[in-house]
Amino acid sequence: MPLATLVCLLCALPLLSPLVRGEDWWLPAVLMMGAATAVSVLYRTLAGWAGPVVPVLQLAVVALLVVPLFAGHLAPLGVVPTGAAVEQVATVFSQGLGTIDTNTPPVTATAGVMLIIAVAFAVFLVAADFLAVTARCPGMVGGLLLALAVVPLVVEESGIGAGALVACVFGFLQLLAVDMWVRGREWGVAVPTPPLGALQHGFTAALAAAAAVALALALPAAVPGLRTDAFHALAEGTYVGRGNDIITTTHPLVSMRRDLLSDSDRTVLTYRTDAEEPGYLRRYVLDEFDGVNWTMSPVDASGDTRIQSELPLPTGWPSTAPPQDTVTTRVSLDSDVAGMDFLPLPYWARSVDVSGDWYVHPDSLMVFTTEGPPTGLSFTVETAEREVTARELAAAPRAPRSLPGDFRTVPAELGGEVRELTEELTGHIDAPYLRAVALQEFFTSGDFSYSLRPPEVPAGADPLVHFLTVDRTGYCQQFAGAMAVMARQAGIPARVAVGYTAGERVGDGRWSVGTGDAHAWPELYFEGAGWVRFEPTPSGAGGQGSATEPEYTSGATAPEPAGPEPSPEDPDEEPSASPEPEESPSPSAPPAEEESPEEVGAAPAGGGRAPDLSWLPAAAAVAGALLVPFLPAGLRLAVRHSRLGRPGAAWRELRDTCVDLGLGWDLAESPRGTAARLAALRDAQRVPLPEQVRAALHRLALAEERDRYAPAASWGEEAGADLRTIVGGLPAVRPRGVRLRAVLLPRSLWDRPRRPVADPTPQSA
Amino acid sequence: MSLGTHHGGRGGGVQADVGEVVAVADRIRGAIETVIEGKPEVLRVALTVLLSEGHLLIEDVPGVGKTMLAKALGRAVDCSVRRVQFTPDLLPGDITGVSVYHQERREFEFDPGPIFANIVLGDEINRASPKTQAALLECMEERQVSVDGRTRPLERPFMVVATQNPADMEGTYALPEAQRDRFMARVSVGYPSPQAELDMIDSHGSHSPLEGLAPVTDAGTVRHLADLVRGVHVAPGMRRYIVDLVNSTRTSPELDLGASPRATLHLVRASRAHAALEGRHYVVPDDVQNLAVPVLAHRLLPGPQAQMERMTAEQIVAKLVARLPVPAPR
Repeated sequence: MPLATLVCLLCALPLLSPLVRGEDWWLPAVLMMGAATAVSVLYRTLAGWAGPVVPVLQLAVVALLVVPLFAGHLAPLGVVPTGAAVEQVATVFSQGLGTIDTNTPPVTATAGVMLIIAVAFAVFLVAADFLAVTARCPGMVGGLLLALAVVPLVVEESGIGAGALVACVFGFLQLLAVDMWVRGREWGVAVPTPPLGALQHGFTAALAAAAAVALALALPAAVPGLRTDAFHALAEGTYVGRGNDIITTTHPLVSMRRDLLSDSDRTVLTYRTDAEEPGYLRRYVLDEFDGVNWTMSPVDASGDTRIQSELPLPTGWPSTAPPQDTVTTRVSLDSDVAGMDFLPLPYWARSVDVSGDWYVHPDSLMVFTTEGPPTGLSFTVETAEREVTARELAAAPRAPRSLPGDFRTVPAELGGEVRELTEELTGHIDAPYLRAVALQEFFTSGDFSYSLRPPEVPAGADPLVHFLTVDRTGYCQQFAGAMAVMARQAGIPARVAVGYTAGERVGDGRWSVGTGDAHAWPELYFEGAGWVRFEPTPSGAGGQGSATEPEYTSGATAPEPAGPEPSPEDPDEEPSASPEPEESPSPSAPPAEEESPEEVGAAPAGGGRAPDLSWLPAAAAVAGALLVPFLPAGLRLAVRHSRLGRPGAAWRELRDTCVDLGLGWDLAESPRGTAARLAALRDAQRVPLPEQVRAALHRLALAEERDRYAPAASWGEEAGADLRTIVGGLPAVRPRGVRLRAVLLPRSLWDRPRRPVADPTPQSA
Repeated sequence: MSLGTHHGGRGGGVQADVGEVVAVADRIRGAIETVIEGKPEVLRVALTVLLSEGHLLIEDVPGVGKTMLAKALGRAVDCSVRRVQFTPDLLPGDITGVSVYHQERREFEFDPGPIFANIVLGDEINRASPKTQAALLECMEERQVSVDGRTRPLERPFMVVATQNPADMEGTYALPEAQRDRFMARVSVGYPSPQAELDMIDSHGSHSPLEGLAPVTDAGTVRHLADLVRGVHVAPGMRRYIVDLVNSTRTSPELDLGASPRATLHLVRASRAHAALEGRHYVVPDDVQNLAVPVLAHRLLPGPQAQMERMTAEQIVAKLVARLPVPAPR
């Protein structure tokens, strides 16, 4: 048993492999566990029953091993734990803690990390040894393994690899098997189990596993508290502090991704607007690029920036062609959604009427609060509407002068590949606007695919370069970020805006925005036109469902507003002038309707509003869960069907039928005795079984008797027919409830009359 | 008789022979039933013992027809029938026979006793002295008589039908366990049903019904049938079943004395005969189950616990039978 425990934990080691970089990190852990196991084996062999002494001894040995392994150079003879050596171990340990704290996985296997892993595994082994060997509850070791498995699940996004999981499960199963074997030997049960018994056990196990899987799938869907988005809500928007009125919030891109990945498309907000084609709703503007991530420069919440009746004019306010008219939008945040510290606003908001303490960032027109964000907020925003045309943009000069911050810098350490790519795409184009269009076309031309779960970037690769050149798969975060970076390299000031698309129209002038409408997009600056939205992310079915390409980005050659009027019930088809107008799904089935909250699937939906087939696994899971109750009935029917064709199995089928019906089965009863007992049964009205059923019982019993006891017997053809008659007629003697249970939960699947294993001689009481 | 004998190859032939057994047994049964009505179980056991060449012990209170049954059986088969009334002063020689001096031939001449018959009725066997009982029982087991140094075999079929009053009646010497063991089966006749008793008044009123009982078969046929019965198939599982059953009487804590290996042989033989009487050429558990009580119960000694609970040996055997799984293919 101690060895089995060791094997079990050794098999669990690969669980940590995605978290640790480097080789041989497992060596100290294996050494320590081996030593502790040796202690267990030796002591138990020498002292017979060792009981609770073993863990103490094991821990002592582990503690003694730590010094030679990690501070050998400081200890005399390499093993004596002097003060200096112990201190060194403590230092290494805290260094390891620091490494783990500060680095994202996988962490490099430093001595400290190895020490922590080794000690952790050694302690686990001691605990497992105690549970499995001393306490004889090897099943409890599963809890330890679960705890181990949680570590990579929590820390590492990709979770546990299949290989590691299989290894871990194998280790656990072999522990259980060894335990059963040892127990069997102690009890003198025949080992190995006969194949049929093993088959039966396997069948029972499969049934239990199926039930567990069904529960795991069905329960979270049924119990609201277990839904994954609830966990997310808990983690939302932590305010670290308000020192100097600088607020910290969850990274916008992180919360956006969380929205997109959430299982259900919940409504985030609804709004009513006068605009025929409302624009996107911006919450954050990310204006700093550090080579990997887009971040937001700190915003200032001082008295100066408190919102007044009118918001400050943003940079790039088109002085030459001021907006023609004002649009009023009334936004209501859904009360079920965690409060927003940054308001979602249409662009060029001129005034915001909202209760509470709100501040504005003048350059980006972000409106935010430093207080705990209220839920279910309603506010009114007035925006200046202005039609941006391609012609106007094309006229913009190359170098905008009116911009305060430098929105064209790209970190020097960014790989040359991106620059080369940008050069290749835009080098031959002069006008900034055409360069921007070329960039957007690069993303939307079909070379890129949209996925909320893009493949992992290999360790060491630059995520941006990888996205642009290798897998070309991502979602709005990658598209927006990449286009903004490339725009900056092409000399166009750029930043990334995060918020929501316009959502879907739910009524006259009323729009609804859900979590699936969360979005990020690049904003490019053109002198005279200001910050202008571009849309590199694929939209429609295969992309961000409700994203739209602005008309002005379709290139200078595109006609001015043309194409059919958008149908009122299908706003998603709105980008009529876009290069890919057919992208939208069938007009009669807007994607948003397919993901109604009632259809919360057990499996995560693919995300976005795309009407992809992501609901299929969910539906299959639900259907599977619904089918699970009928699984036993199906199995039983299959068994019966297979037996109907084999006369030799007829008696076994009769036995199972009797067990199912609760009629009992006495192993000491001879076939004809059984037949006589069954033939004498009467139903609730004291009506006996039909004559042909009784005759069939008798014939079948005699046939079975011949088969068992006569020197040379063969089955006649009538056995199958007799069995059919019996199986059809016998249930009549039982009440309806029993009959139903016999069909749905046939006891014979798990409860079979068995012979006594060891001693066939019955002992009298 | 060998337990290992296989007769599986005979197939249809055995089936036809078994039909012969059934036909003859039905005739005997019909004949006896003209005398004793309403006791099919007792009759079946009696026929089983006859065909398996065992001995039958009929135990019951006086006057229920024990002797009548034995006599009827003897009459139905056309063979030599002798009756011995056991009394306390009966001597062994009165059973086996004695050598008497022949005056004319000037030599001792053996005068065979009543034991030299095909069917011997030992009436009220428990009234004889143990010495006499022992003499009878020796003959039963060895099927031969040794008198004055000469061994004289007894003719087949040889069947002792002994009747006995329950031991708690006055003036009886209960058979020791070892001697009870020699009987293949013990039956109780029991009181007749009211209807059977009514019929009895009619039939016994005018004349003795035994007188009207004509033999329906003869000793040669019975010998032949007994040979046929030996060919009845006992599947390996059935042998194991019988051994397990007998063995369970030995390990049962309710019994002070279990059944002997001889009991096993008796049970196998009786089961074969029982199967043949049912028209089968193979033994099934039902044969054993039906015979377990008559074949085993009289050999067993209930323990003090069972006695305190007033459990008879019959009940204990029935319990053991009800608990032992029948042989099933696995």
